Parts: sequence; structure tokens; C-alpha cells
Amino acid sequence: MKQSLGDRILNIEWLPLLVLAFVGILVLSMISSNFLSSYNLFVILRILSVTSLVALSQMVVIAIGQMNLAVGAIGGLVAILFGALLELYHVSIPLAFLAGLAVGIACGALSGWLIAWTKISGFIITLAMLSVFTGLNYGITKSIPFYNMPQALKAWYDSYVGPVPLILFIPLIAMVAVAVILHHTRAGRQMLAMGGNPAAAELAGISLMRTTIMAHTLSGALAAIAGMVAVARLGTAEPTIGSDWLLASFAAPVIGGAILTGGHVSVIGTMIAVLIVVLLENGLILAGTNPFYIPFFLGALILLTVLFNHWRNSARSSPLLRRGGH
Amino acid sequence: MLHVAESGATTPAASWFSGARLWRLANAGGLLILIIALIAGIGIFIPSFLSPFNLFALTRNLAVDIIIGFSMMTVLGLGHMNLAVGAIGACAAMVTGFALERVGLPIPLAIIVALLTGMVLGAINGILIVRTGLHSFVITLATASLYFGLMFILTKAEAFRNLPVDFSGLAKGRIGSFSNFLFVALALAIGLVALFNYSQLGRQMLATGANSVAAGLSGVPVNRIVVITHALSGLLAAIAGVLVTARLASALPSIGEDWLLPSFLAPLLGGTLLAGGYVSVVGAVLGAILLSVLQNGLILMNVSGFWIQFFLGLALLAAVGIDRWRSVTAERRGMVSR
Amino acid sequence: MTPLLEVRGATKAFPGVKALDGVNLTLRAGEIHALVGENGAGKSSLIKLLTGVLRQDEGEIRLNGEPVKFNSPHESLAAGIAVVHQERNLIPRYSIAENMFLDRLPVRNGLVQHAQMRREAQPWLDLLDLHINPGTPVRYLSVAQMQLVEIGRALSLDSKILLLDEPTASISEHEVERLLTILRRLRDQGKAILFVSHKLEELTQLCDRITVLRDGKNACDDRPLKGMTKADIVTLMVGRESAVTDLGERTAKLGEIRLALRDLATGAGHKGINLDVRAGEVVGLYGLVGAGRSELAKSIIGAYPVLSGRIEMEGRPARIRAPLDALRDWHIGYVSEDRKGEGLILTQSVARNTAITVWHRIAKRLGFLWGGIEKAAILPFVERLNVKTPSLDQAVGNLSGGNQQKVSVAKWLAADARILIIDEPTVGVDVRTKGYLHRLIWKLAEDGAAILLISSELSEMVQLADRIYVMNDYRIITEMPNSRQYDEMSDRLMTAIHRDNDARTQSAAAE
Repeated sequence: MKQSLGDRILNIEWLPLLVLAFVGILVLSMISSNFLSSYNLFVILRILSVTSLVALSQMVVIAIGQMNLAVGAIGGLVAILFGALLELYHVSIPLAFLAGLAVGIACGALSGWLIAWTKISGFIITLAMLSVFTGLNYGITKSIPFYNMPQALKAWYDSYVGPVPLILFIPLIAMVAVAVILHHTRAGRQMLAMGGNPAAAELAGISLMRTTIMAHTLSGALAAIAGMVAVARLGTAEPTIGSDWLLASFAAPVIGGAILTGGHVSVIGTMIAVLIVVLLENGLILAGTNPFYIPFFLGALILLTVLFNHWRNSARSSPLLRRGGH
Repeated sequence: MLHVAESGATTPAASWFSGARLWRLANAGGLLILIIALIAGIGIFIPSFLSPFNLFALTRNLAVDIIIGFSMMTVLGLGHMNLAVGAIGACAAMVTGFALERVGLPIPLAIIVALLTGMVLGAINGILIVRTGLHSFVITLATASLYFGLMFILTKAEAFRNLPVDFSGLAKGRIGSFSNFLFVALALAIGLVALFNYSQLGRQMLATGANSVAAGLSGVPVNRIVVITHALSGLLAAIAGVLVTARLASALPSIGEDWLLPSFLAPLLGGTLLAGGYVSVVGAVLGAILLSVLQNGLILMNVSGFWIQFFLGLALLAAVGIDRWRSVTAERRGMVSR
Repeated sequence: MTPLLEVRGATKAFPGVKALDGVNLTLRAGEIHALVGENGAGKSSLIKLLTGVLRQDEGEIRLNGEPVKFNSPHESLAAGIAVVHQERNLIPRYSIAENMFLDRLPVRNGLVQHAQMRREAQPWLDLLDLHINPGTPVRYLSVAQMQLVEIGRALSLDSKILLLDEPTASISEHEVERLLTILRRLRDQGKAILFVSHKLEELTQLCDRITVLRDGKNACDDRPLKGMTKADIVTLMVGRESAVTDLGERTAKLGEIRLALRDLATGAGHKGINLDVRAGEVVGLYGLVGAGRSELAKSIIGAYPVLSGRIEMEGRPARIRAPLDALRDWHIGYVSEDRKGEGLILTQSVARNTAITVWHRIAKRLGFLWGGIEKAAILPFVERLNVKTPSLDQAVGNLSGGNQQKVSVAKWLAADARILIIDEPTVGVDVRTKGYLHRLIWKLAEDGAAILLISSELSEMVQLADRIYVMNDYRIITEMPNSRQYDEMSDRLMTAIHRDNDARTQSAAAE
């Protein structure tokens, strides 16, 4: 059972992804002199700040073996409510942020509660909630954005802590927080236990209802923050925020090594996956390709990394499944 | 010594009224009553709802929704999903446009090429799922992006707008007040009913969906069935793509972008199970009708179009909620156990 | 003295079968209580009542004389009942330590104390002689190690009541010895222990009192074990109805060799398998759980690949790449031990479940096939096996275990199977149907089928088989004719397995 240090490093799940990310950065900095420009890095960071939250929001639900199709819808709804509070009611930014967070939490808790109470598949419930929240969003805004965001919001978004842009902290804090929750709190351990083996989790006295609600609530909170960061990034509260999050929300956790049936997610893997996806898009744009080409490469990236993860897992599968070695 | 058979044989009446079938009838019946009430209500308050013009437009859109629902329903029968329904529809639409405008193929040939494209793309999904053993959700999530992207690259995301008049004329045909698209959809419905109730293939699909291990050990070629089912799903998505192209009189790369929600809504409203092993063709048709009528009615009632999605979501919640509530009460009474 | 835990008149019904019918059980402090019964007798259901997984329809559970209701596993756990379930209940990616403490994760300042868990888990692993780092994820453990982890978890709860459902099913002799010593010590400390096992040897060594279940009822309620012989227990378990003599005599009319395995090695891990089954013969394949019997069956029908050697049918080499080939080309049928998972499609009708093997044959042109044709094709077989169902459209899941098993057999009769591999034919089947299935197996052999019978139940094996192959660790270790004398055969079979195990341990030690 003892492993050498080298083996242990090679067994780190996200190592190949990290290598891929480094190769990406290297290649991009060679083919384009603009890549390492502070402006471009800033652009990458801005995209990263939202996408990483979206990915984490999906990831915590994948952890319990469910899906949350309403991630984007919650983000969009919170974004416009945040915008409305700021523009129409002149609420202070922190207060508006707290209100938006509360709405996200409420939306997630509602989805979770409906799933737990009706015992209907989370896929169907969150599909319905996707429709409900999006409908609310468009019904309220009539598809018109809130344009007049306070200057302070933009200023906050563009500010630096020393040489480091403030928004760099958003993905970092979110990453650390989710990692701590999943690995070091009772709630998080119960979530992953439920995803790994629901029957065993229940026998160990874990309430699957409560755990489902917790996961969706956490997901709602992260989606809400993503929505509000998106408002800060765009400078307007667009009703369309979140409408295109679905692909990325699943792609990053899955590339990062999450198992869709639950019980295993990788926070660092997901974050590196977000970086790779962003680099891919950025690289294609820098290389002057048509932005329409992005989906093809994104699809190919998902397929290839998923196949690679699959191959790697089956090559190192548990000795139980590989009989006859003796 | 063998025991004497007590009730091994069955009477037709007993089989017709068996719990499961009665249950499914009640389910479809509830949906039907809801639709009739909705149509009657809207028809009374807004006479223009039943105008030939509105009925024609309604049924033309409805037909596409039904076929999109069928495309998802077939893979749901396996317990799979196909997130690439929209992407395949878009590819088929663009192939149609390309074949007609650039290659100048005759219309029937162009349509056949488009449908074959859809089948092949679906089959690729199936092959990838079988070969890797990965979740269909992940595979089709990736291929959806891949297919869309490939189509964008090949067409440079440019629409084909100069299609032969005869082709766009297909979308103008009507029988009575109904678009002839509706009859395409109904013909497909009949075909699917025949497939799932009166054929070996359909039985094998549902057996695979309900318990693929047991089906495999009983001699069902499970892998082949998965590939065929996904090919069928691709074919149906392609048919929808071609119909939309005819309706728009142009092949746009944006076709299929907003199909994801309706593709799930129609079969799920109709009682098809996500877990696989059971599909309801009639249910999917009724589900699509409910959606279209609701949508159309809300628009005619001057409810802002923006609220429609909200009501669609509530409708889905209500439908699955009622279904769940009924099965819980039925279980309490000890009627059926699903 | 009031018993610590009592069950009085517990009844639990599932659709089509009464799992428990007025069952009593009494556990006292300072005693080890044996619970025995054949598969499907209701032992697991009873344990599930005590652990809050199921709730009884009637009857009551008393804890220290007070009636209690367990609405969830959590409540039972909180009431001081620790349990090792028959199935493994572990979170594969969690460490040994975390699996042990999952129900009471130590938390300080809101953070789970992983290091503390590992420290606290260590003594329990040492106690069980399990020398593995408690931080190891359980998915890297062997089945035996997993079972020990679960036992360690139950022990670590330090509760007054300990329920062990087949704790020794997959662990080695040495580990069993160790466990029994620990259990004796816990008894002496005043704990109440319920011990469920098929291995009567262990029970007679360890337990003080015994409760026997048969068909969901008490065959005996809280009797002292002292003075009872193994034969007494078997009689209680099996009952009069299907005693060994009941089947009468059988003279096998043997035909040609129909199935032959020659030096077969499979993807499941078998090596050098040689085996013959003749037409008209019932050949037994005996072994302990995990010996590789079902896997061999699945290899024969093409679910696992053949790596080397060959399968011969009626003297001709048979190439079987998938169950489809086995069915269509060679008429081999496999009745799985796992009816729910592998045998039947529970949500579908009796008609479809039976006809699934013949769809390709009865379908009309272009693959058209409807209920009428299906029912006509299978009705003779459903009637012949006397399947009791309200209609052919009934979902198989609503039938009793016995009738489900009849459907699993009927589909292969419909497919005209010339070789029938029957894996644990009577698991979860009531005694009447069991006798019926036993007679059926003989009848099928008399009608000319070649039958390969897999069973973990010694009495069944001794009763039915003409000849027995013994499998251990994915190899055939010996072959013997069946004298149909239970005591003699059980002795010979168990000796063969133990001798092989000892030889393996020695060769492993020598390496």
C-alpha cells in the first residue's frame, strides 16, 4: 500500500490538467505577443471570475449525484434583482449584494426542498425551475437591462490590491471556501457521502433530504454571486446573464474529473478546467479565428479530456475489479 | 407432481384493466382533459384562437415541438439523454440549405441527405456512449458543442437564404385549417407507437432501458440497440430541422439553439420516465400540445411573451407534482407500486 | 431480568410476499444469540426492522421493556443499536477512518478532524488485525478487508446491542477466529449480540441461544443452543416439507456430452477450467461465495471473454462472443442468481419477460411483433410452470419471489434451451415453490436438457446434483460423484475447500 513520493505525485488527479494548462499558456505566449500583456491577462481574469463561480455552483450539486440546470437562471434572476435594487431603489452595494445572495439561497433552497419533498428527479425539478426563474427574470425586466449601475461598482471591480487585481480573489476565495466545505465540514462530508453511496449514507444516519437541500442552497448562493459579479463585469444588469452558462457549468467539473453520478468532485481540477476553457477561448480569439469556431474546440476538449480521465481511471481501477492477477 | 394451474391463463378483459395500463390511460386522460379545457377556455374568450390563420400557425409550430419531443423521448426510453438534439437539428438544416442552394440537389434528395446526416450524428453519439461506457449526458454535452461548432466552421455561420420556392412551399400546405406538418408529426407518432408496441426493436429498446444487464443476459444485443436508438433520435431531430428550414424558407445556423427545453418538456409532461424503460408516445404529443396551446393562448391573451417561460415551468412542476402525488396516494391505497 | 431488545409478533408484507409473519426475537445482555434460516426466510427483513430501514406492519419492538419505533436508521443508531449489514455499506472514496465515524464525524470549530478520526480508528483496526493505514480509501480494499472495516465500525460504536448479519461471509478462517474471540469478550462485558450466519459450525461454537426463521415465521423462538446438534438446526431451518428424502429416487439417463470446457481461462479470472455436462445430467458447481461460479456461468454465455482454451458444444468448438450467440446459436440459457439486477425486468410484464428470449424468433416480417403473438408463444410455458399471476400483463415485480423465479426459468424453456445454467435457483423462494423448482430441475433433465446447477446451499446441491464440481478461487479443485448423503457430502466438499485454502495460504507464505 505504500507509495513512493513520485507515485503519489503522478497519482494527483489534476496533474495532467495542470500540465495542459501550462502548455496552453506556453503555446499562447509564443504565438501571440499580446497574450502576456496586462490587458489580456486582465480580460482572462474577468472571464475566470464569473465562470469559476458558475462551475463551482454546478459542482456542489454534482457532488451529491444530481444536476442543477437552473444555475444560469438563478444567476440571471439575481443579477437583475441586484441591478434593480441599485438602480431603482438606490440601495447600497453591500446591502444589495446581501439581498441578492439571499435570493440565490432562497432559489436554491426551494429547488432542493422540492426535490427532497417530492422525490422527483433533480433533473426535472431544476429544469422546471430554470423555466420559472428565467420567466420571472424576463417577466420583470421585459428583457430590458438596468443600465445605470453605480460608479462604485465598476470602480470596485477594477480596483487593485497592491499589484493584484481585486477580482483575482473571487475565484480564489470561492475555491478555498468550497474546498473547505466539501472536505472539512460535516455538511460537506455528508454531501459527498450521499453522492458516493446514498444507501450507506442513510444507514450512517445522514438525512438525504437535508443534504439535498444543503447542496442546492450552496449551489444557489454560488450562482447568485456569479450573477452579481457578472453585473459588475458588464457594468449593466442584463437579463441574458446566465443564459449561456449551462455548457461551461458542466464542462468544467467534468473535465476536472467529477463523476456525474456523484461522490467525487475535484475543486482544483474544476478550477484548472475553467482556466483551460478560458485559455482556449482566449487563444482562439488571439489567433484571429472566428469566434464561431469556439464551440467545436470546446466540444472536442470536453470529449478528449473525459475520454482521458476515463482511460486513466480504468487503467488504475480498484484491485477488486481486476481479478486474476495472482 | 405438478400443481394444478390456478390462474396462469388470462382473459383479455383482465389484461386490459390491469393496474399499469389503467394508470397510464388515466395519466394521458388527465392531460387530455386539461388540454380540452384549455382550448375551450381560450376559444371562448379569444375567438381568434380558433381562426384558420391561428390554427395553421399553431399546428405548424406544434408539429416541430412534437418531433423534437420524440427525438428526446426515444433516448429517454433507454434511460439516456440527448443534449445534441438541437445541434443535430441545426446540422440537418444547414445540410439541407447547402444541398439545395450550393449543390442544387433535387428537393427529395436534399432532404434524404439531411436526414442521413442526422442519423449518422446520432449514431456517433450512440457509438461513443457504448464504447466509453460514459454517461450519455456527458457524451452528448460534448458532441452538441462539437456538432454545432463543426457546422459553424463548415458554413462560416452563414445562412442559406436562397432556397427553391418549392421547398419553402412545403411549409405552406394545409389540410383543413391544419398545417400539413402536423400530419408529418402524426405519421411519425403512429410509426413510434408501432415501434414501441408492435415491434421487436421497440421491445428491445425498452428492455434495455429498464434493465440493460438483464436484457443483455437474455440475448438482447444491448450495444447495437443503444446505437440504433441514438440514430433514430438523430433522424427525428433532423426531420424537425428540415421542417423548420422549410418554415423559415432559409437554413439558419441558429436553428435548434432553443430546443433543449421543449425537447424535455413534451415527453416528461407526457409521463415518459427519465429512468428509462417506459415511453408514452401519445403523452409526448399531448405534452407538446399543452405547451403550444398554453404558449399561443398566453400570447393571444396579451400576456407579455416574457412571462410564458414562467408558466411553462409552473406547468411542468404541476404536471410532475400531480403525477407524484397520485402515485403516492395510490401506493398508500396499495393499488399500484411503480 | 428484562431482555435488552425484544421483537414481538412482527409482521411485514411486500407486494406478493409476506416477509415476516408474527416473528419473535429476544436479545439479553451477556448473551450471543444466533439467528438462522435459509435465504429468504426473513432474517434480513428482521434486521432491517431493528435498524429502522423498514417499519413493521404489525407487532412491536421493545428496548429495555419499553416499546420503541424506529423511523430511520438514525433513530436506531441513536438508541444504541450497532449493526453490520449483509451488504457492504461503505463510501468507496472515503477513508477507512471516515467510514467508521461517518455517523459521528468529530468536529472542532466547524471543521472535521480527519487526523483525530484516523487516531481513533487505529485501535479498532489493530483489534481486528487489519494492518492498513486508516487513511486509505476503502475502494482500494479487498472484500474481506471491507467487511472487517464494517465490523470495526460497529464495534467502535461501543453500543449495548450489536447485530451482525453474516459477518463471516467473506473473511478468512484466521479473521473469523479473531472475530469470535472479540465477540466472546464483548458478551462477557454484558453486551447483547445477534449473530446471523449460514455456517452452523460457528454458531454452535459461539452462541448461547438460537432463533430459527422459516418462511417468515419462527421455526423456533429463543431456545438454548446447548444440546442441539447441527442436524437439529438444519431440520428446523428446512422443515419437513422439503427434507432430503422427499424428491425420491432419480436414475439419470445420460446422453452425449453436450457442454465441455477445455482448459478454459476467462476474462473474469478463471484458469484451467475443465468441465463436462451431459444431456440429461444435473451437474453441480459448488463453492463458497466469491469462488467464481456465477462468473464462470457468465463466461460460458459470452458475458466475459474467453482468454484461452475452448468451449465445446456437442463436440464442436463453440465461438460465443455475447449472450446473443449463446442463445441463438447454441441454446444455452442462464438463470441468474440476481433476479432483480440481472434476471428479470421487474417493471415489465410477465409476457415480455418470458418472451424476451424468443422475440427474434416470433417476430413477423420487418420485425413486427405484438402482444398476441408474444402471449401465444409463451403461454404454454407459463402454464407448464404454473406461474401464479393475475394476468400476463402484470409487472413481474409484483409477483412473489417464487413466481418470479418461475418466470426466469420459463423464458429459457420458451427459448428451447438445451443447456440450462441455473444459478441459486431457490434464493428468496418460499418452501413450496422451492420443492416445485427442485422437481422441475429433475424433470427438465429427464426431458433431455443438460443442467449446470450452481448453489451455495449444500442441502440443495446434495439433493439435486448427479455429480459435483468444486470451485475455489476461480479454479475447479475437484470433481466427485454425489452419494446424496448429506453428512458425507458436506464433509467431503468442505474438506476439499479447506484443504485448498490451506494450500494457498502456505504457498502464499512461502513466496
